Amino acid sequence: MHSGGVSSAVRIFGGMFTPELSPKFLALALEATWNTLTFAVTGVTLAVGIGLPLGIVASGVLFREGWLRTSTVAAARFALAFLRSIHELVWAWLFVVAFGLSPMAAILALALPYSGILGRLYGDFLNDVPQNPLRALRASGASEFKTLAYGRIPMAMPDMLSYTFYRFECGVRSAAILSFVGIQGLGYQIQLSMDDLLYDQVWTLMYLLVAVIVAIDVWSSVVRRNLTR
Amino acid sequence: MTAHDPTLDFQKVAKPGISVPMASFLGFIGLAVVSWASILWGGKSGFSELFMTGTWTGVAEFIGQLLGRGTERTPAFLDFASWRDALRLSLDTIAMSVLAIGFAALAVLLTFLPAARNVAFGELSGSRSALGCAGFFFMRGVFVFTRGVPELLWAMLIVFVLSPGILPGAIALGLHNYGILGKLSAEVVEDLDPRPARALRTAGASNLQMLLYGVLPQSLPQFLTYMLYRWEVVIRTTIVVGFVAAGGLGREFRLGMSFFHYDKVMLFLMCYLLLVLGVDLIAAWLRRLVR
Repeated sequence: MHSGGVSSAVRIFGGMFTPELSPKFLALALEATWNTLTFAVTGVTLAVGIGLPLGIVASGVLFREGWLRTSTVAAARFALAFLRSIHELVWAWLFVVAFGLSPMAAILALALPYSGILGRLYGDFLNDVPQNPLRALRASGASEFKTLAYGRIPMAMPDMLSYTFYRFECGVRSAAILSFVGIQGLGYQIQLSMDDLLYDQVWTLMYLLVAVIVAIDVWSSVVRRNLTR
Repeated sequence: MTAHDPTLDFQKVAKPGISVPMASFLGFIGLAVVSWASILWGGKSGFSELFMTGTWTGVAEFIGQLLGRGTERTPAFLDFASWRDALRLSLDTIAMSVLAIGFAALAVLLTFLPAARNVAFGELSGSRSALGCAGFFFMRGVFVFTRGVPELLWAMLIVFVLSPGILPGAIALGLHNYGILGKLSAEVVEDLDPRPARALRTAGASNLQMLLYGVLPQSLPQFLTYMLYRWEVVIRTTIVVGFVAAGGLGREFRLGMSFFHYDKVMLFLMCYLLLVLGVDLIAAWLRRLVR
């Protein structure tokens, strides 16, 4: 605790109860929220696009035995581990240095680590399905690819969908903090307001972020309840 | 699978309307299309830059600098002294993550009970009270709020109050993870087998005895699993709270980026890979011990 700590704590947390609600600022805040949401949605869709094929390869369900299976599984697993071990904000920084401040940098920064996480989980889900239906498919002459398409993927679908939803919720949070490297969105506005010591505005933006996350949380819990029933 | 099966159509007709998962799926696809469209056609998107050679030579140059091209000294990741400094910072980072998960776990252990639906609404104890209901909604609200605000934002607020160092980072990480662990722990209690608690109650056990002998023994292993899982996530996130002057590797990473010392950045990234791998291994080992 430094010397001005108590008084600044009082001012910061006092702002909690008096969020700024002027129409002009609300319009700005809503636009920032929309920006953050679009980054989250595009990032997560791209992550599914990268993570699903990698996850399928990493789960080793495409080939039966042999060196081809061992080598592709090892390569895909390593790629997924590498993608997810670097935090999205670090990816964002690297991409902004390389590409400049563009939405594409934000989307890629979100998509790469998320594809690492999604791919690993998809692979686990595809491996963990009940084995008997797969045996039946194989016995009737289905190739490994057909077993995947008609056996594994339909059975793993509920788990995969609900986990993707959870990642979408995380994606909104991550998209908000990606703004700290200068990308438009909620975090950028929060940082600007914080630099001006306008804590009322900071809390308005925080409440909007929490509202979006609660909305997604409710949405995904409704979907999950309907899937498990 | 190619032949048309009329019974399938019959089943579809028998279920009126469109199912919730299907509607959500279509809704998400719609949202995705709108988002992609608004980014690709909403002004400068950077998408066309992906296909320009200039961008990729820039990327190659950047990677070259990360690998130590263009520095007069030996690159930091080949230098013994800078490895020693980086490892000391790594220890700070580990301390921060352990402190954070410790704060979160302690706070959760003190507050998870009122947030569990079956405890709050008296399904376990057999008596329902208005205080329990109020406590339930209050605690769930606290969990949602602490969870909804990202660690980095908590850290930004807290460094205004505390001096920069490991502690504000640990508190910020702890607050966010408190919300997550709290929610997960409350759900564990909700999914408990209620019979041991009921048996204790009929045998005349007090509330404290029910907690100690009916709830905790069943749920502690699950709590520990979640804590270890969150610890793995926290160690990755320490770099982010480090950006806003909370100590450890994160702050040095930011300084390295700001001063264009990309060889140092590479060193810190390598340290992070080691940390993440190490924590994953330790957590996997502890999880096997708990089981």
